[in-house]
Amino acid sequence: MAIIPYLLYLLLIAFDSVILKDAISIKIATINMPVLVVMIVALYKDDLTAVWFGFFAGLVAASGGPPSQLGWQALIMAAFAAVGSLVRERLNLDSLRARLLVILIGVLLHNLISLALSRSDGWLVFVFSYVLAGAVYTTILAWLFFLVKEGRLTAEKIKAIF
Amino acid sequence: MKWISNLVSGYVRTANFVVVGVVSVLVTLGGPPVTTLVSGTLQTVFYYPFAKLKITVTHMTGVAEENERLQLVLREATLQLSNVAEVRRENQRLRSVLNFEPPPSYTLLQARVMSVSGTSAPVSAMINRGSRSGVAPGMPIINQYGLIGRVVSVFENVSTIELLTDPGHRVAARVAETREMGIVKYRPWEGMVLDNFPAEGKIAVGNEVISSGLGGTYPAGLLIGTVRSAERMLDEPFCRVLLDPAVDFNSIEELFVLMERR
Repeated sequence: MAIIPYLLYLLLIAFDSVILKDAISIKIATINMPVLVVMIVALYKDDLTAVWFGFFAGLVAASGGPPSQLGWQALIMAAFAAVGSLVRERLNLDSLRARLLVILIGVLLHNLISLALSRSDGWLVFVFSYVLAGAVYTTILAWLFFLVKEGRLTAEKIKAIF
Repeated sequence: MKWISNLVSGYVRTANFVVVGVVSVLVTLGGPPVTTLVSGTLQTVFYYPFAKLKITVTHMTGVAEENERLQLVLREATLQLSNVAEVRRENQRLRSVLNFEPPPSYTLLQARVMSVSGTSAPVSAMINRGSRSGVAPGMPIINQYGLIGRVVSVFENVSTIELLTDPGHRVAARVAETREMGIVKYRPWEGMVLDNFPAEGKIAVGNEVISSGLGGTYPAGLLIGTVRSAERMLDEPFCRVLLDPAVDFNSIEELFVLMERR
C-alpha cells in the first residue's frame, strides 16, 4: 500500500503535463512539476525510494514527449533525486530557505538541461524567460507547499485575511 | 562498526544508482521497440484518463458555447418571426382598406390610431393627423367596416376623436331595409342601442342600421351596426333595439377622416 502515494505523485505529473500546465502558465514561465515532486520526495524519503521514484517520474514525464528521450530523462531525474538525497543529509531540513534553495537550483539545472537538449539557437532569451522565470515560479509553488505542509498557511488564516 | 555500516550504506546507495543507470541506458539502447512500448504503456496508464477528461471538458465547453449561440439565434429568429407575422397582418388590413370607397362628395384621409383611452370600453382616441393635414373638428371618422366617430379637437399634427362608444355621443340613424329612423347611442351596461325607435316601426334581427344624414354631422349611408334584438314593450311608445356595432372598437388601427370635397 506504500506505493499508492507515489502512484498519485506520478498521476500528478501526468495531470500537470496534460491539463494543469496550460492553465497555470504565465507567458512562457511554467511550473516544472516533475522536478518539484522528485526534489520533495528526495528531501523527505530515503535515497533508495527517491532514486527509483526519480527514475519512474522521469519515464512518466518523458512519455509525453518523443520516445527517444525516455531513457535519458529517466536517468537525469534519477540523478536529481540522488543528488537531492545527498544534499538532504548535509542540510538543515528545518530551514525553509535551504529547502527552497535546493528546489530552485534543481529546477534551474533541469530547465537548463531541457533547454540545451531541445533548442539550438536563441537560447539566451530562453534562459531568462523559460529557465529563470520557470524556476522562480516553481519555487514559489514549493514555498506555498511547505507553508501548507507545516501548517503555517491554513484555510482559517486565509479566511482571516479577508 | 560504524565505518562498516557507512561502507555498506555507501555501497548500497552506489549500487542502487548504478542499477537505475543501467536500466535507463538499456531503455535508451533498446531503441524504438522498447521506448515505444514503455512510452505507450505509461501514456495509457497515466496520460490517457486526463487526456480523455480534457477532451470531454473541451467538448462540453464547446457544446455550452454553441448552445448559448444557438439560443441567441433562436431569440433573434423568434423576434423576426413575430415581426413577419405582424407585417402580414398589417398587409391584410391594408389590402382590405385599399378596396374601400368613400361616400360620394367626400375624400378619404388615411390616419393611424396613436392611442386609445377609456375604462370599460374605448371612448376616445388620438390619431396621427391634424390641422396640417386639413383635419377639422366635427369631421366623421370611418374605416372599411363602418362609422367610428368624429373629430373633437385638432392640433397641428394630431387630433382627438370621439368614438361612438362614448355615452354622450348621438348619431341620427335609420334602418337600411325599412328606412325607419332612430338615434344610436351607447350605454355601458347594455352596449349600442337604437333609441327612439317607434314601437310600430318595422325592424328585424339582422337589419343594418346606417347614418341617416340628419343632424349634419355624418353623411347618410354610413354603416353603424346590425340589429341584434328588438323588443316591443307594453304601453311603451318605443322599441328596445340592441345593435352589434359594425366596428370592433377594441381593435381600431387604420382609419379614415372623411373630408368633404370643395
